[in-house]
Amino acid sequence: MDCTGFKSNIFAFTEGTLSEKLLGSAKEHLESCTTCARLSVEFSQVVGVIGQDKITEPNPFASTRILQHLENAFDRSENRLFKGWIRILQPVTIAMAVLSGILIGSYTAQRDDPGPDRMVNSSENIEFLRSNLFISDFADEDKILVLNNE
Amino acid sequence: MTDPELIEGILRRDRNAFQYLVDRYQKQVIKTAYYFVGNMEDAEDLAQEIFLDIINSMKSFKQSSSLATWIYRITVNKSLNMVKKQQRRGFVMRIESIFIHQGDHKNSIENEPSVSPDGEHREKRELLHAAINRLPENQRIAFVLCKYEENSYKQIAEIMKISLPAVESLIHRARLNLQKHLVYHFSEYQKT
Repeated sequence: MDCTGFKSNIFAFTEGTLSEKLLGSAKEHLESCTTCARLSVEFSQVVGVIGQDKITEPNPFASTRILQHLENAFDRSENRLFKGWIRILQPVTIAMAVLSGILIGSYTAQRDDPGPDRMVNSSENIEFLRSNLFISDFADEDKILVLNNE
Repeated sequence: MTDPELIEGILRRDRNAFQYLVDRYQKQVIKTAYYFVGNMEDAEDLAQEIFLDIINSMKSFKQSSSLATWIYRITVNKSLNMVKKQQRRGFVMRIESIFIHQGDHKNSIENEPSVSPDGEHREKRELLHAAINRLPENQRIAFVLCKYEENSYKQIAEIMKISLPAVESLIHRARLNLQKHLVYHFSEYQKT
């Protein structure tokens, strides 16, 4: 085997998957060629990294971190959903509150409006003020003021 | 817990099912990601995204293959995406270092201490990973699943959704390409 032949079989040589015949020939070549011998050492060291990588174990707390990440992600998505609803519900609630205020106001105004048939006269007004505000003696000027205001 | 029970639990968003999924597959996911990205911290960060993806896309899992195979597929795809991102980032950083820190970079190389055994090992890992990352995507996946994960050709065929002869061919070509790249690297190295 020459250098070119060895180089084209170096992977199989390193892994030990070369046939008996080729293996013997490769070993023979390595005894006589220092360049290929050095190359073989370098190559096996690099390919040996695969074996070293295989025994590298992940952090034992990795599962805790993963589960925490999942929890956070789900919380975020739930919050996003909740915030989405808030964004819709907030203006709807305000609009409904304003609308119900208007409706209640107009209904109350209609109900309390005595109408032209139920107008009370001035003496009834004075009686009302007397009884509700505990004013027993209205001066004549006050009576005139009340009558003038009607 | 069987696979169908686990799938049902995940679809119900059952926290116990999530825990079981993570406990059962975290090692497979992290190690596969690690073989592609070449860094354990990145692999662990990536595993978080992979599990989230697994849970969110469980509805689309048709159960035509085993759950483990499906998880492999997601892990490989996500890992390859991360490698692409790393390569893009590395490219940008290299350009930045050329234009911004030209002088500093030169000084740091000159002042670098002699290579320690750890440094030498890291150098070899980087060389191997660089060689693996230069392989075409299909060859890279087949090679990693075969050499690192020690999956059978049949399993690799299922994960990659290709035939057995195609897997054999991909691994053979991957080995030849790696050999070519490494031999070239060492030949050049020996010249200097």
